[in-house]
Formats: sequence, C-alpha cells, structure tokens
Amino acid sequence: MLINKNMKLADVIHHDYTLVPVINRFGIHLGFGNFTIQEVCKEHNISTGFFVIILNAFHDPHYFPKERLQSIRLNILIEYLQKAHTDFLEDKIPEIAFLIEKMPGECLDDRKTYLLIRNFFLEYSTELKNHITKEEERVYPYVLKLEEAFLKGETDADIKKQIQDYPISAYEAEHENVEEKLFDLKNIIIKYLPKPKSDKLCFQILREIFSLEKELNEHARIEDLIIVPKVEAMENALKLKGFGNG
Amino acid sequence: MGEIKTVIVVERNYLMQAGLEAMLMEIPGLMMVKTFTGDEVSLAGHIRKQQADVLILNPLALKEDPIVFLRKLKQIGKMVVFGLMEKETPVNLQSHFSHVLNVSDSKFDLQNKIRSVLHQDTRPGNHNLLSKREVTILKQVVLGLTNQEIADRLFLSIHTVTTHRKNINRKLGIKTVSGLTVYALMNHLVRMEEMGGATK
Repeated sequence: MLINKNMKLADVIHHDYTLVPVINRFGIHLGFGNFTIQEVCKEHNISTGFFVIILNAFHDPHYFPKERLQSIRLNILIEYLQKAHTDFLEDKIPEIAFLIEKMPGECLDDRKTYLLIRNFFLEYSTELKNHITKEEERVYPYVLKLEEAFLKGETDADIKKQIQDYPISAYEAEHENVEEKLFDLKNIIIKYLPKPKSDKLCFQILREIFSLEKELNEHARIEDLIIVPKVEAMENALKLKGFGNG
Repeated sequence: MGEIKTVIVVERNYLMQAGLEAMLMEIPGLMMVKTFTGDEVSLAGHIRKQQADVLILNPLALKEDPIVFLRKLKQIGKMVVFGLMEKETPVNLQSHFSHVLNVSDSKFDLQNKIRSVLHQDTRPGNHNLLSKREVTILKQVVLGLTNQEIADRLFLSIHTVTTHRKNINRKLGIKTVSGLTVYALMNHLVRMEEMGGATK
C-alpha cells in the first residue's frame, strides 16, 4: 500500500504497526485521534513530503523514490538518521540485552552458554556504537559542512583539504560489516542453542533482532543510495569550481 | 534438496525485478534476498557482503563496463552468475557469462535453466557437518591464529586454509571470528581455559 498525506495516521498504523518508532523519530506520539498525516505534520511543524517518503520507504523496501529523496536537503536526512541512531542505542540494543539477561532462568540451564551469548552481543553492541560514533563525529559533520559550502558556492581551506584527503568514498571503502555479527547471532540462536528449555524467550529475542535488522537495512539504504551519491556529486562540483583559484 | 540458496538481483527495471521475484519464488529452495538497481556506489562490494549463492545480473543496469565488473565479481569466489539478457545482446557480451537467462524465454524454460545449473552445483554429502580437517582449522581460528599461522602449523598452503574457512562459514552460517568462537565453545570443540589471551 502506498501511503499518502491524506490518509489518517491511525489507519496507517493499523496497516503497519512497525511504523510507530519511525513516527516517534519525528516527535509524533500515539494519541493522534483521527487526524490525517498532513494535519499531524502541520501540528508538529514537519515537512509532510519527507515524512510520507520515510513512512513509505520503511513500509515497503521496494519503494525508493530516488529523485524525490535526492531533492531533500542533506541536513534533514541526517537529522532523521541521527534520531534513528539514538533509537538503536537507547531502545533497541538495551531491549535485546534485557531479553538476553533473562535467558538463564527461562531458557538455558547452562550458564556458560548464556555468558557466551551475552558477551557476543556485548561485542556487537560495542561495534555498532563505535560505528555510529564515527559517523556522528566524522562523517555527518563533514556532509553538513559540504552541503553548506555547496549551497553557498564557496569553499574554505578545511573543506578543500577534506575533499582531497578524505572524501566520502574513503569512508565508504572502510564501511565496516557491523551486520555480520547480528547475522551470526541469529544463526547461533536458531541452530546451535543446546536444548533450550523454552522457545518463548528465544522467539522474543529473534523478533527484536529481526526488527533491528530491518531498521539497520533501511538506514543503510538511505546512506548508500541517497547520501553517498549526493555527497559525491557535491564534491565533484566543488572540485571543478573552486579548486583552480584556491 | 539441502540448504536454501540465496539469490540477489541487479536489475534497474522494477517490473523485471518483481517478475523475477515471482518466478524465483516458485523454485523450491531459492530465496531472493536483495535487489540492486545498478546505481549503487561500489556495487561489487555490496554484492560481496551479501555472500549470496546466486547472482542474476542485467549488464545494462551497470554504470561501469560489464566486463570489468564481471572480473571484480570473479574474486568473490563461488557464486553462480546468470546474465539476464535480451536476444539481441551482442554475442561477445553474452560470452562473458557462463550462464545466460534470456528475457524472452518462457517461464518454464527460465526456471528449468536455473534449476539445472544449480543442480549441478549441489555437491553430494551432508552440507552441515564439518569435516575433521575443518574442525581442526576452526579450532585454530578460534584460538586466534591468522590464516598464515594456520597454514604453517598444518603444512597447508594459505589458499587451502582460505578455502576451508569459506566452507566453514558457509556450512555453519557464521561469518565472524567471535561468532565461530561462541559456536566452538558451545560445542566443546575448545575449552575456555585454552582460549587464554586469544580472545580479542
């Protein structure tokens, strides 16, 4: 189903409740009555167009209106991605960690197995956190500065240096495989747990892992298909323009 | 039938993607896990990350020279690549693909083609159990040895060690060293005490 601005937000959530955390990222919370998406957006002072695109992109992985997404300013996209980061680190990860903590009583007799899984997940969380920190401290500020320079049409020495020494493609090249550990964890739980007492908790854990994975994929899609190409285009444009007389 | 094979598709045209997905869904044991439009920056890298069994690639979707691109894919190792092409596609381009799917073929022919190619590829024997050699290598990996060190210890070439490691990853469905460590400890292939300072 394609979501549009004239639909009632409540109907959209009925159709796909996994959008709740996505709307939360925009500061919208449950209890919006019968208001349409457009009305809710107006009340919260957010761009309806962008909101609808993000809802659709999250709801249907095939929906990816490249042209429309590319017309959106990078600072708005990045603000959204940063909120998603906060969700990952403050909600998703602690939730899974909390469920894993419950394993010894509810599903595993063997304490050693529990500790192995707990430590493995801890390692994964640390990796994800480092990855996110790097993006927020190094990549995003650069992208924002670059967009500003691009819009103003003037570059300073800092930006020039970074375009030359460390363009976005360099970050792309060292893009870590954070998702691999998550994939392994799924298989460890699905295939290799020694005689779990009950599957109920494992099911909850798997549900959370799959949901985190879905969000991470969505996140990566925005980065790979929108941000990186857009930044590269800006880098090239600035190189052509400003570097000769700098 | 054995294990499920994962398929990724590089195709710009949405209708083609959707059609491929519908067709692949009817072949038992195949699962389409990802589609690329061909516009992605460092597409070959993305494909490598997927570690899929099958790639269906429309060369026209690529931004770069298909022949150069195919050469990059060769390094990915065992992944069956199908070229998705029109009848009119120049023969010299077709010849770079070991398998070709012709877009104007019937559903029956297309599915049969895919089935027969993949059937050749399934090797007999149990896919899930590690061989003795693989267990030995897994232990060394878990203890923190590099491929070179393992090769030296077991008098193998580094190439052989790499192949074994790929097979271990594929059979277990675990790719990271720490994931393998959890597996090995859970299955008592190594003991915690042996680990010593090896864990990172």
